[in-house]
Amino acid sequence: MTDFEEKLLEILSKVLLLDKDKITDDLRRKDFEPWDSMNHLIIVTEIENEFEIFFEDEEVVELWTVGDIKKVLGSKFSS
Amino acid sequence: MTDTNQDIEAILQTVRENPTYLNLWSAYKKFENLDLPVSEESNSLSLAVIGSSTLEPLAACIDIKTKLDGFQTSTFVGGFNTYRQEALDQKSPLYKAKPDVIVLSVDAGSVLGQMFLTTFVRASENERVGLRGDLVSSIAAVIEVLEKNTSAIILVNNFIVPVFSPLGIVDNKQKTGLKRFFDGANTALTGLFMKSNRVFIVDLESISSDFGKSRIINWNTWYRGSIPFSEDFTPVLADEYLRYIRALRGRAKKCIVLDLDNTLWGGIIGEDGIEGIKLSNTSPGIEYVDFQRGLLSLYNRGVILAVCSKNNLDDALNVFQEHPFQVLKEEHFAAMRINWQNKAANIAELANEINIGLDSMVFFDDNPVERAQVSQAFPEVLVVDLPKNPRLYRETLENLNVFDVLSLTKEDLARGEMYVGKRKRVELETSADSIEDFLRTLDLKVRIRPVDDFDTPRVVQLIGKTNQFNLTTRRYTDAEVQQFRDDENSIVYSMAVTDKFGDEGVVGVAIIKKKNGDWWIDTLLMSCRVIGRSAETALLAKIVADARGEGVSRIIGEIIPTKKNPPAADLYEKHGFGMPAQTDENGTSWILNLETDAVDVPDWIELIEE
Repeated sequence: MTDFEEKLLEILSKVLLLDKDKITDDLRRKDFEPWDSMNHLIIVTEIENEFEIFFEDEEVVELWTVGDIKKVLGSKFSS
Repeated sequence: MTDTNQDIEAILQTVRENPTYLNLWSAYKKFENLDLPVSEESNSLSLAVIGSSTLEPLAACIDIKTKLDGFQTSTFVGGFNTYRQEALDQKSPLYKAKPDVIVLSVDAGSVLGQMFLTTFVRASENERVGLRGDLVSSIAAVIEVLEKNTSAIILVNNFIVPVFSPLGIVDNKQKTGLKRFFDGANTALTGLFMKSNRVFIVDLESISSDFGKSRIINWNTWYRGSIPFSEDFTPVLADEYLRYIRALRGRAKKCIVLDLDNTLWGGIIGEDGIEGIKLSNTSPGIEYVDFQRGLLSLYNRGVILAVCSKNNLDDALNVFQEHPFQVLKEEHFAAMRINWQNKAANIAELANEINIGLDSMVFFDDNPVERAQVSQAFPEVLVVDLPKNPRLYRETLENLNVFDVLSLTKEDLARGEMYVGKRKRVELETSADSIEDFLRTLDLKVRIRPVDDFDTPRVVQLIGKTNQFNLTTRRYTDAEVQQFRDDENSIVYSMAVTDKFGDEGVVGVAIIKKKNGDWWIDTLLMSCRVIGRSAETALLAKIVADARGEGVSRIIGEIIPTKKNPPAADLYEKHGFGMPAQTDENGTSWILNLETDAVDVPDWIELIEE
């Protein structure tokens, strides 16, 4: 696992209260009750602070799954 | 330990080790999923956080930080900008939560409107003053409703004075420039509630300045979710409310224990000699003088000072008596241990001599090994992580924020002198033949009466903080004490003690509740300062006499044991109360039959009744 994935899982695990090995790419906001809008806000902020990046509002809305987060993060790192 | 208790401890341990915003939030969420045990009354804390923005993160930080302090906190968070409705609607979930503490955080912008800054520049002086009045009275109205509908203490953020003004560098050339607009609003708000015992205006403005106003907001989360404080600032702000909560619940520290060499002065007196130590009105040495001045200011406010140092006694005393720049003198210390014993043992002795709990003590020592030893022996002592650089000592002292009380009484201000009196009493005691002979020489006068307005703040303070000689440790707020005073079925007594060495002021409280023809002693407590002078006997005698006057035949006293109150455990038994029975609060009740038994005022006490 890459360092950035490890850090991401750390954040998700602490906010969503899931063990890291239970956090799969297809974990979906709509299907997982603890991932409410408040927690989404916290997750986005923590990711921004941790990786020193910035999400546009449209990107925040489009982050539906853990896979989505990884994809957007990947594109931000490569650009 | 039950499973739940283990869970709680595990959650708190993670935060204790690393109290980041993320960990605080994570802990808060974990607690939401726990089935918490019914809390012990004395540790339970109902917190409500309401205001004009998204306050879950702030509430989470206060919630977890109070839990780290040992409180069993349940937290209600108000809706987004619904604080007014929550306050006005007596059936709102805010009131259902029966809060002990309410935090009210309102952004000035939410009251003044979005166009405020734009129109302010062209507003006339009169309009500005009018707007400011509206702002203050809008918040004040909500506070007053909260005050009326609850018995909580109400912590209200003041307004942050903006750094930017469209008027630029000439902002303060106008009578009510933008900054003075907010300064004035803060002054007015503080003034309105200056006399209140339950409303406290929290100085958010100055906490923000200290932290750095450019860092108190994360604009991303503000625009995305109206979260008013940044991730770094939120835990810092939470600490500020903790100061009030600790003071409310008698968790304040009372005594500073000081090492001498390299703590009160630079160098080692036993080696460097009185001319060689660093203590001066210039550098080097001025930083120690300044630290001592800081300590003296706390002493003057009622914090007790003590010495715990490995030194030859005469060497150390010589500095106190002879050094021209020594600020603190022997008379400022309630007790001293200057010897070669280990410091943990010395601190235990100091606690015993001064008669306070170890958890009321703060220990300052430059030596990390001594600190570790004391920490290990007594985790309840606050051992200060003193920086290596003595120039930071004073700042470290000032940043502790652990000595807060909710009101300063004249007893607080004169506490230091009282301890000198105590030391002299101890000297006299050792020279007297028997304890009664000693007490007879003291000219003790005890004044007991139903509490008046003047003494009520002190009585509330004693109820909030007395731990040792406290039979039931029931904490009552100012509002509750007021209710007892107004209720004809209860009596609140205050007891003041004086002797030839000084006036101790109000040091005892008893609350009587009349039930089915009996008098129940709901609360009986006494400051540890006067333990051992039989003042408690005088207090009981007064209660017994008043009860007889009303034709009562039984007085029932309750004891709820705690870790701290063994000094009071045998009070009723010693005074002829009998027939102990279990009560629902894990305590015992004791009965005095007035037809057969009596309690008399000891012959060495003059009882003054008014």
